[in-house]
Amino acid sequence: MFLTRSEYDRGVNTFSPEGRLFQVEYAIEAIKLGSTAIGIQTSEGVVLAVEKRITSPLMEPTTIEKIVEIDKHIGCAVSGLMADSRTMVDRARVEAQNHWFTYDEKMSVESVAQAVSNLAIQFGDSDDDGNAMSRPFGVAILFAGIDEKGPQLFHMDPSGTYVQYDAKAIGSGSEGAQQSLQEAYNKSLTLKSAMKTALTILKQVMEEKLSSTNVEVAAVTPDQPFHMYSKEQVEEVIKEIA
Amino acid sequence: MFGQAILNDNLPGAKQHHWSPYTDNGGTIVAVAGDDFAIIASDTRLIQGYSILSREQTKLFKLSEQTVLGVSGCWCDVLTFTRTLEARMKMYLHEHLKPMSTPAVAQLVSTMLYHKRFFPYYVSNIVAGLDQDGKGTLYSYDPVGHCEKNRYRAGGAAGAMLQPLLDNQVGLKNMKGGVLPDITKEKALMVIKDSFISAAERDTSTGDGVIINIITKSGVEVMHFPLRKD
Amino acid sequence: MASTKVVNIPKGGFSFENCQRNNFMAKQGFPAPKAVKTGTTIAGFIFKDGVILGADTRATEGNIVADKNCFKLHYMAPNIYCAGAGTAADLEMTTLQMSSQLELHRLNTGRQVKVATATRLLKQMLFRYQGHIGAALVLGGIDSSGPHVCCIYPHGSTDSLPFVAMGSGSLAAMAFLESGWKPDMELAEAKVLMRNAICGGIFNDLMSGSHVDLCIITREKAEMIRPFEVANVKGERQGSYRYPLGCTATLSTRVIPIEIESTVVRPVAEESMDTA
Repeated sequence: MFLTRSEYDRGVNTFSPEGRLFQVEYAIEAIKLGSTAIGIQTSEGVVLAVEKRITSPLMEPTTIEKIVEIDKHIGCAVSGLMADSRTMVDRARVEAQNHWFTYDEKMSVESVAQAVSNLAIQFGDSDDDGNAMSRPFGVAILFAGIDEKGPQLFHMDPSGTYVQYDAKAIGSGSEGAQQSLQEAYNKSLTLKSAMKTALTILKQVMEEKLSSTNVEVAAVTPDQPFHMYSKEQVEEVIKEIA
Repeated sequence: MFGQAILNDNLPGAKQHHWSPYTDNGGTIVAVAGDDFAIIASDTRLIQGYSILSREQTKLFKLSEQTVLGVSGCWCDVLTFTRTLEARMKMYLHEHLKPMSTPAVAQLVSTMLYHKRFFPYYVSNIVAGLDQDGKGTLYSYDPVGHCEKNRYRAGGAAGAMLQPLLDNQVGLKNMKGGVLPDITKEKALMVIKDSFISAAERDTSTGDGVIINIITKSGVEVMHFPLRKD
Repeated sequence: MASTKVVNIPKGGFSFENCQRNNFMAKQGFPAPKAVKTGTTIAGFIFKDGVILGADTRATEGNIVADKNCFKLHYMAPNIYCAGAGTAADLEMTTLQMSSQLELHRLNTGRQVKVATATRLLKQMLFRYQGHIGAALVLGGIDSSGPHVCCIYPHGSTDSLPFVAMGSGSLAAMAFLESGWKPDMELAEAKVLMRNAICGGIFNDLMSGSHVDLCIITREKAEMIRPFEVANVKGERQGSYRYPLGCTATLSTRVIPIEIESTVVRPVAEESMDTA
C-alpha cells in the first residue's frame, strides 16, 4: 500500500493526484499509536479521562502529564507525540491569556480550538519569522471547558480540523472506545456517571490493568473550574465500577 | 558671544518653528448610565483654531446594538481609532461567532489606547452601553488607556466645566441625604440637555447642536436638539 | 524742598520696574497670567450720510467666554467713535485717555476735533509702546473734511479706507464688506450690510459671538444702537436648579445665646413753656 504512495508523501504540502495530503494522513495515523483519552460532555460539566502508559516499573508515573489546564475554565487531554503537544498547549494558554487581557472575558472553548488549529496547519514552508514547523503536529487534542454556552467538548486532529462532540475518544483504543461511548451516552448523563462510564470504557480498551496510577481524570464544572482528581478520588470511582 | 545670542529663544523677535502632529478639534461628550439604560450625547461642532469645520458632526459611534462610543479630541485620531476599533470588533465577531459585549469593548479600547502609549491617540473616550445583564454601564478613558467605570461622566472640551454639574445633579454630591437612587431616564435626559445648553453659553468650542443616543434593550434611540451657533 | 514731594506722586503711564523680575520668573516656569481679550469682530465703513461702526459683544479668556455682552464701541468725541479689538484693559484705558485728550484739544482750539487728530494721537501713543499695548482699533467719525474710517494696528500703523474690519472675525466680516459695500449707501442698506458683516464674524469666528452693536455717526448726531440685533438668545434650561431646603449638611452645631439687656427708652415730655 505504501509503495504506491511513495511519490507524493515527500513534501508536506504536496497533494496526491487523488487530492490527499499523505503527511497529514500519516500524522493522523500517528495518533492511533498514542494512549487512549476520553472526554464526555454532560449538562453538569465535562469529564476527561486518559490512560498513562507505564512502560517501565522504574518510571515515575506522575511525570506523565496528559491532561493539562489551559485556563481556569478550560482543560485538555492529549494523545500522540507528547513533545508536540507541549507546543500546542503553550499556544492555547497564550491565546486564552491574550483574550482575557484584550477583552476582559473568558475565551470560549471553540475559540481556543480555533486558535490552536491555526497553529496546527502552519507546517511546511517557513513563514517570515522563519520558525514554522516542518511537519504536521502528531497530536490529537480534546478541549473540555465551560463558557457562556455551557459545558463544551471539542476534538482537534493533526489536520487542524476541530469538531464539537458529546463524547469522544482518541488514541490507540479510540475505535472501540468510541463505539462504547455511542452506546453509553445519553443527554441526561450526570457528571459522576460520565466519569464512571469513561473509566469503564478505558478499562475495556487498556492493555494494562486499570489503576489509580495509570489513569488521570479531570473535570470542569460551573462551580469548580478545571480540576484534576486526586489518586484517592480516582480509586473511589474505580472501586465503584469494579 | 554672538553665537550664543542667536541660539537664545528668549530674545525678542526670535521664533522657534514647531510642528505638532496633534490638533484640538474640540467637542464635548456627556454620558449617564441608569439601571436599564445608558445615555450618551455629544455636541455636533467640529473646530480648528478659531474656525468651525462642521456644525453637524456627531462624535458618537454606534459600535453594536448595545454599545456606543463617544470620542472627542484630535479628529484624525478619532477617525483612525474608531475605524480600527470597528475593524477589531468585526474580527472578533468572525473569530468568536458572537458580537462583543460592552465590557469586552471597554477592555479592548483600553488595550488599543495603551498600545500607542508613546505616540498616543489624542482622544477622550467614553464607552456607554448595556452589559450582559442588561444593566447600564459607562467607561471613561484617558488618552493612554486608563479605564474607569462610572455612573455619569463628562469628557472633551467642556468636560471639566460639566463634571461638577453632574457630580451635584446626578451624583448628588454635596447634597445632604446621600443615598443614591438609580437616576430615571427623564431626569438623565434633562441634566444632559441642560449641561450642553450651559456649556454652549461659556465654551467657544461647544455649540450648534447635540446628538443623544439612548441605549436600552430595544436598541439605540437617536435624538437631536439645537444649541446656539455663535 | 518740593522735589522730595514730587517723587511720591505717581507720574501716570506705565511702570516697567517689574519687567526684569517677570522675565526671570517666566524663565523659572511662572508665566504672567493671561489677560482678557476681545478676540472680536469689528468693522466700520462710510455711507451716504456719514459713518457706521459695528461690533460683536463677546469677550474671551482662551476658549472660555468671559463676558457675553461687553461694550466694544467706545466714545472718543461727540463726532468720533471707535471700535476696539485686543486686550480689554488696553482698549478701555487707551480710548478713555484719548477721549480726554481730544476733549482738551477741543477746549484749547475751540473747534470740533478732526478724525485725523484722533488717528494721529492714537498711532503716536501706540507706536511709543511698540505693540505692547494690545489695541487694534477701528476709528470712525465725521468732521469738516467729511466722513472717515480708519483702522489702527497695535504697533501704530494706520489705514484710512472706505470700509475696514479688524479682529479675529475680520476675514468673515470683510467677506461681506467686499461683496456688499458700494459708495453712497443709504442708511437702511448700510445697517443691513453692517449687521451681515458682524454676524459673519459672530457665527463663523469662535472668538466672536452674542449680539450686534452699531454706532451711526452723521453730521447731525452720533447714535449708539445696543443691541442692534440679538443674534443669539441665551439657551433655556429645562430643569430647576433651586436646592430644596436642608441640602447643606450641618457638620456641627453650637448655640450661643445672645444676652440682651433690655433698655427701655421713654420719651420725656418737654416741659411746656410757661406762657402765662
